[in-house]
Amino acid sequence: MWETVAQAVINGLLIGGIYALVSIGVTLIFGVVKIVNFAQGEFVMIGMYISFFLATQFGIDPVISLLVTMPTLFVAGVLIQHFLIRRVLGPNDMPQIFLTFALSLLLLNLALLLFTANYRTVHTSYSDEAFHIGGLYIPVAKLIAFVVAMGLSAVLWVFLHTTDLGKAMRAAAQNRDVATLMGINPDRVFCVALGIALALAGAAGSLLMPFYSAYPLVGQVFTLMAFVAVVLGSLGNVMGALIASLMMGVAESLGIQYIGADSGLIVVFAMLLLTLAFKPTGLGGRAR
Amino acid sequence: MQKYRKRSSVGKTDPNEPRSKRQSRRQFLLKTGGILAAGAFGAVPLRGWAADAVNIGALYPTTGSMAQIGVGCVAAAKLAVEMVNDAGGIKSLGGAKLNLIVSDVQSDTTVTRTETDRLISGNKLSAIHGCFASALTLIASEVAERAKVPVITGSSSDQLNKGRTYTFTPFARASQFAKAQLQMSKLVSDKPKVAVIFENTAFGTSTSNGLKELAPGEGVEIVMFEPYSAGFTDASPLINKVKSSGANALFAVSYLNDLILIVRTVKQVGLDVAINGGSGGFVIPDFYKNVGKLAEGLQGVAHWNHDMSDDAQKVNAEYKKRTGDFLFEYAGGLVAQTFMLADALERAASADPQKVRDALSTLDVSSGYAAMAPGGKVKFGPDGKNIYGHPVGVQWQNGDLASVFPEADKRAPLMKT
Repeated sequence: MWETVAQAVINGLLIGGIYALVSIGVTLIFGVVKIVNFAQGEFVMIGMYISFFLATQFGIDPVISLLVTMPTLFVAGVLIQHFLIRRVLGPNDMPQIFLTFALSLLLLNLALLLFTANYRTVHTSYSDEAFHIGGLYIPVAKLIAFVVAMGLSAVLWVFLHTTDLGKAMRAAAQNRDVATLMGINPDRVFCVALGIALALAGAAGSLLMPFYSAYPLVGQVFTLMAFVAVVLGSLGNVMGALIASLMMGVAESLGIQYIGADSGLIVVFAMLLLTLAFKPTGLGGRAR
Repeated sequence: MQKYRKRSSVGKTDPNEPRSKRQSRRQFLLKTGGILAAGAFGAVPLRGWAADAVNIGALYPTTGSMAQIGVGCVAAAKLAVEMVNDAGGIKSLGGAKLNLIVSDVQSDTTVTRTETDRLISGNKLSAIHGCFASALTLIASEVAERAKVPVITGSSSDQLNKGRTYTFTPFARASQFAKAQLQMSKLVSDKPKVAVIFENTAFGTSTSNGLKELAPGEGVEIVMFEPYSAGFTDASPLINKVKSSGANALFAVSYLNDLILIVRTVKQVGLDVAINGGSGGFVIPDFYKNVGKLAEGLQGVAHWNHDMSDDAQKVNAEYKKRTGDFLFEYAGGLVAQTFMLADALERAASADPQKVRDALSTLDVSSGYAAMAPGGKVKFGPDGKNIYGHPVGVQWQNGDLASVFPEADKRAPLMKT
């Protein structure tokens, strides 16, 4: 009995780590730039394809290819902020929503055109391996993904709390006008925020590749989970998104185990509804 | 739309004008010569000019989510038409060649309806084959029934045999697939305990309900019967559940991506179950490409397999030369279907769809390419179903699919896993 529960919790935490990377990106962009990035999942997809091609063409392990996907997507994020998002920032939310939504559609269909709808998988030596401890098992690929994801989240937390640029980002998130008065250049801060968020999405893509298939629509699965996590963990709150993602992974896994395999998401959304009803600002917190 | 068409047709004729004039002069001479000759010899159809090509419509999803399989089908359809034509075409029609008109149904039901309509109204068709996915074939068949054009298809939905007079299904039906799958579980264990997991879609639900209904009659115990949401991110919780159910066989009614996750997770858990992946996405070369060595020993069911007969092997070798992959279930069946159509045309001695339909209804073959079906015989009953039709049980062995069930169709011993 306890074994089944423990296994379900382990499974949930492991996949929650991946949800966290995506949702931290979304919450960071929302917190700092104040826009909702509907295309976040598509950047996960791009990260997956980059890793896939590096693995099949050059034999680079998907986890190592993180060193390529993260900088590539960081640059992409900076460029997207500088050339696209910067132009629609203003009092009206609509152009921003349309912009990121259009970006999502564009990337998705571009991927369909270039890569076709086929599923692509990378087979690494550890893809099918698992550690067995007692009656429990921990898949190696997912453990690597989880550890790296937590590591990256920790680095981000340290960056936001100790460096000048990180503090500037948090300041810009709290109040853009005051931050500007303090001599912070919002354009520069926004570019970095977008870059980091996309780099995290790229990292998620690379980490997923050893155990998940890449296909053009793959991002949609993660976008949905990320949005729930972001709302659950208080909009714009990085730590909240992280904890919410892990909780969602566990809730989904337990839901599948004890309610039904098609009800995993029901538990997640029930959790979201209850949170919104009793703690509308989200689990992470304080009212703004 | 119309404007665009007009413009494009103008653009096409302009640069070709000199050549087309020359061509029409040659055609004129040929035709007048032919008519004179025909008059002289009593209207005997002459080879070469008199035999108008016989149009066969091919409806396949060559773009969209099912494109991979649709493209393979079109390659097989072209190969089959070439084979018929190289062997002298339809002799009773003066050696008329088959002319394949391919139309893309885009993996979409609405597009299938309009494309079938367009194909029928825009061309003089003798017959149609298509569309791989049952959901699409059902619609194409409806449209064709109304237009009274015969449809021959490898799609497995039992629905295609209900209240239709122009639809012919030479291969095993969905209900037969379920039965074969249950019987195969007894190859693995005398007391099969089966866990059925299926995606919660129309396809998953109907297939798995078929399994559940037939299980008691086959003496198979179902210990777990669980729908899951298609496109999940993690199969671990589901496999965790299979593990606690104590099953020794696992039936997964899933599409490719979910199936890959399931197979990998079973391996990671170290669970000892015989997996049967059914048909469709499980018995195509792409599956092995994605799953690799883990696919070895996995079982499935198919309505056609390339190791069935020498004829099938021959076609497979040619297809492999062209595309690099082995001839998969649906595409292989399609080659046989083309020869069934050729047989019907031969006996009908007419390209008229009504006459082709009548000739198909009396088709009875047990040799040649048209008889490439499990059991080696094709004869249609009043519901358009091949009365000898049944599926074969297959197993992935060394990157290839081997027929292992039933005894009569077995071409390789079952690999123990």
